[in-house]
Amino acid sequence: MAKRIKVSQGMEEPDLLPAMGLFTILIPMLLSMTAFQKLAIVEVNLPERSMLELNGEPPPEPDQQTLSLSLAATKDYLVIGARGGFQPNVYFKEMWTFRCKSDAQLVTYSVEDVERTVSAGAGPKCKDGKEMDKEKYLYEIETIELWAIQKESEEDPGRILWALYSSQGENVPDSVYVDGNNAFYALPGEGDLGATPPPALTKPAAGTALATLDLNSARKLTADAARSNIVYPLSAYDVISKDLIQIHAQFIDLDDVNDIIIVADDNAQFDKIISLMDRAKAAGFSKVNLAKLGGA
Amino acid sequence: MARKPRDFGTANAPFSLTSMMDMMTIILVFMIKNIDAEGQLITQAENLILPVSTSKIQPKEVSLSVTVDNEYVVVDNAKIIKTADVLAQEDILITSVDSVLKERREAEREFALRSNLPADEAGNIVVQIDKNIPYDAMYKVMATCGYSGYTNIAFAVMMKNGGEE
Repeated sequence: MAKRIKVSQGMEEPDLLPAMGLFTILIPMLLSMTAFQKLAIVEVNLPERSMLELNGEPPPEPDQQTLSLSLAATKDYLVIGARGGFQPNVYFKEMWTFRCKSDAQLVTYSVEDVERTVSAGAGPKCKDGKEMDKEKYLYEIETIELWAIQKESEEDPGRILWALYSSQGENVPDSVYVDGNNAFYALPGEGDLGATPPPALTKPAAGTALATLDLNSARKLTADAARSNIVYPLSAYDVISKDLIQIHAQFIDLDDVNDIIIVADDNAQFDKIISLMDRAKAAGFSKVNLAKLGGA
Repeated sequence: MARKPRDFGTANAPFSLTSMMDMMTIILVFMIKNIDAEGQLITQAENLILPVSTSKIQPKEVSLSVTVDNEYVVVDNAKIIKTADVLAQEDILITSVDSVLKERREAEREFALRSNLPADEAGNIVVQIDKNIPYDAMYKVMATCGYSGYTNIAFAVMMKNGGEE
């Protein structure tokens, strides 16, 4: 009897140590292979006449049955063109937000400031006073923001437009709010270049009816959301986004309503192109073409 | 007297690993769920930062990749030409990249013919471009891809918020 009990005890406790050893190796291995940042792709249509355009042929005459929408990005402004005409330019000030390696804090500079610092032989400064590597500071850019500015004339330096954004903390804007008339909660800032947020732009209280640019996003502001809202410079991407959504809805009957050509100048960063493509696709323009700004 | 050492031994031995095994199994399952099978696409380097996009389209199949970082244009892990040279040239077609791509396309066509697949389909290519690369370089690379027969072009991007909703 005593012997039988002993045997069953041995069955109950298998030696798990080798299995544990295996797991301890497997887990770090899998951990090193796991991709926490997921990759995706953005499909693009080739510029159909890219080779023909080299010969300097004039573009075909605009047709009344087509929209021929294009979105141009230059160093100073974004503009939407259709049927040979153009909407008003959306001027912007390009801002680079860096995430410093030294303190993991966000810091925002205008492109001109960065260029001035770098040409003076230094790197952009972090919040903790450390300088970024002046060769590699470009890789510390977290986001490229285009702050929309209001200009009275071509020479006017303009004033930054401030708008109401939802936020998920760290003073980083999420999506822009529009009111019942589909207008931004936006006002030009005060002081030099409008760098100070306008005091007249107050955060709406809880219960205010507003919407984001997404479809069917009208809502009453909850107390939590009202508290986390921020006043942030209006993004030129959002201005373009709103116009594109309107255009797409207005010309939904046309044959080429899903086509858009994104035109950019030679020095526009790839990041800007992808952002514009995202905005165009979100507005319903599924067939994105790319073209080069003339005179290159 | 004879019993005592045995009792002592059994009291010391049952350091139960079963609960630990349970935990490890759960972690293992979680890790396998999270693992990315598209190993070929991930060639992240310090000087290649892909832009963030809202796109949710996953790369469907393994295809040829062209990478443009601040220093080189790389086709399938072989450095072809300096990015600075691409920017400096007047022509839109990058001849050195074109010749490599044409070779690849030819090989793909031959393979398709031999395995009785349609050989005239447009080639698929994934273009990975650092987010600071100027449009000029990107445009030339795209035009070159199209010229060599790779007209289904996809740009590799990072999913916004790591793909989480």
